[in-house]
Amino acid sequence: MADRLFALCALIAGGIYTFVAFAVIKAPFQYDPLGPETWPQVLAIVFLFCSLYILASPDHIRLTLARSVWLRLLLLVLMLGGYAELYEPLGFVVSTTLFCSLFSIMLGAKRLHAIAFGCTTGIIGYGICDFLLGLNLPEGLLAPLL
Amino acid sequence: MTEVLSGLSGGFSVALMPLNLLLVLIGCFAGTLIGALPGIGPINGVAILLPIAYSLGLPPESALILLAGIYYGAEYGGRISSILLNVPGDAGAVMTTLDGNPMAKRGEAGRALSISAIASFVGGTVAVILISLFGPLLAKFALTFTPADYVALMVFAFASLSSLVGKNQVKTLMGATIGLMLATVGIDANTGVPRYTGGVPDILAGFDFLVVVIGFFGMAELIHLVEQQVSGKLKLLPIGKSFVSWKDLMLIRWTILRSSIIGFVIGVLPGVGASVASAVTYGTEMRMAGKDREKFGTGDPRGLAAPEAGNNAAAGGAMVPMLTLGIPGSGTTAILLGALMLFNVTPGPMMFEQRPEIAWGLIASMYIGNLALLVINLPLVGLFARMLTIPQKYLSPLIAVLAFIGVYSVVGNPFDLFLIIGFGIFGWILRKLEFSLAPIILGFVLGHLFEDNLRRALSISRGDWSILISSWESIGLYLMAALIVVLPVVVSYRNRMRA
Repeated sequence: MADRLFALCALIAGGIYTFVAFAVIKAPFQYDPLGPETWPQVLAIVFLFCSLYILASPDHIRLTLARSVWLRLLLLVLMLGGYAELYEPLGFVVSTTLFCSLFSIMLGAKRLHAIAFGCTTGIIGYGICDFLLGLNLPEGLLAPLL
Repeated sequence: MTEVLSGLSGGFSVALMPLNLLLVLIGCFAGTLIGALPGIGPINGVAILLPIAYSLGLPPESALILLAGIYYGAEYGGRISSILLNVPGDAGAVMTTLDGNPMAKRGEAGRALSISAIASFVGGTVAVILISLFGPLLAKFALTFTPADYVALMVFAFASLSSLVGKNQVKTLMGATIGLMLATVGIDANTGVPRYTGGVPDILAGFDFLVVVIGFFGMAELIHLVEQQVSGKLKLLPIGKSFVSWKDLMLIRWTILRSSIIGFVIGVLPGVGASVASAVTYGTEMRMAGKDREKFGTGDPRGLAAPEAGNNAAAGGAMVPMLTLGIPGSGTTAILLGALMLFNVTPGPMMFEQRPEIAWGLIASMYIGNLALLVINLPLVGLFARMLTIPQKYLSPLIAVLAFIGVYSVVGNPFDLFLIIGFGIFGWILRKLEFSLAPIILGFVLGHLFEDNLRRALSISRGDWSILISSWESIGLYLMAALIVVLPVVVSYRNRMRA
């Protein structure tokens, strides 16, 4: 069932890819006989063939995850999204502290431990990456201090 | 032969420079640590650490030496979580659990760990000796390849990939196609026409290699780990005092040698890596054991030594097509290949002549690395085993933090942070549907090479497609591709008829 659903989505996405390959991509002038559109056309056909095959004979895969697991995965994705959104505005230290604390609380750490873990990761992580390794990380809120 | 020796001596002069020597040791050590973490395999370790290694500003040969050290270090460390926890770090370590974990349950974990360390060492060393002997020869042969031959080689690579990797061949092929399709996004280099960019300026230059790698092998793995963490507890077995004995070594010596050679050959096949090698070597030893075969799976040293020698030899073997043809031999070498391209080094047959410090430096560093791994693994195995006790609740956030640091410090664009999350979710769904992710990265890395060679070949022939089958090399490769796809089908059909 899950496989069929996936194949259906793949057919739709592959259909769009195919349409673009055959109807949209055009070079105003080109030096080689194939041009920019032939290769995507070949790939599109292989992809559609694979999708149709899976639609016709799907594997039996059961995607039964408990509701609590789904909930946590959703939370995880939201947290990752928030981390990405706040990475530059808040800076590495603050956003990492927040993210690590919340993430480890979600995975069952005690609050105090989680906050200690978050602060350590944020501060030591920045120290190692910025001062020791010379990597470029956003300073954000703490820019005046760093 | 003199060529090999002079190449090697040049390589050792690169690998023995203090910086590079230090990097080999750091790579091996960090790799073993990462490999020992439950659920994280070599490919994830290399993926997560690649951008950091890149942004350190090392010269290309040093960065590659570091990454390769992490690669075979992790291949080495993977056995620790397989034996003590019964949790393989990646597909290549699955076979190790079959006999390794029963031994640990009997209280012989120390014996199992030391046997596997020696098997891994021999496997890795045999592989690197064979690389030094055959790599330059293959590179010389590959110099004669025309664009049309490269197209044939690519077809062969994808044929062997879809025939031997994963449960469902169509899904493997589809995964590779997804990778190839992802590579078509961005401005076409030959004509300047944008393809599949949807008008988003951030992807006009195409998806960044690092973003795709971190998405599929960092974030997808993270989501998978969190999902696993919620369900079930893991039980760590104690190491104890037992150690490998002379009798053990005598029992397994031929097993190790056979498995090393088989593993190397499988590793050389483009696209097929450690997971296939460990399965094949285990199966071979079981068949050769005759009456003893019932002992396999209950903690037989041979069943432990075979896959360990096999997968380490395959990890080395997979370097051969990468160094000589520019075609990766496994998912992880696909990432190393991408790393070389980040440094503007074109991997391929010219590398042995034009950039000998990279090709030979890497090979020489592998000799040193293998020895270092054996030396740090026998006494320090207890320390590495402690890695298994790091609670997942702290480990998982660190993976995300490392992935973000990596992507941001190299690309410096917050848009890419969202892209890796997107690829991560997509990769996790694919994994749930029993897709193997390695073909995607192979497809992505080879996408431009494949298309460029096809277009170049047809430019040479002015649009005549028959150029693709105009040389013996390419015809041979197409025949081999057909054989490798058809043979397993025929064999399984015959087995079914007999049953």
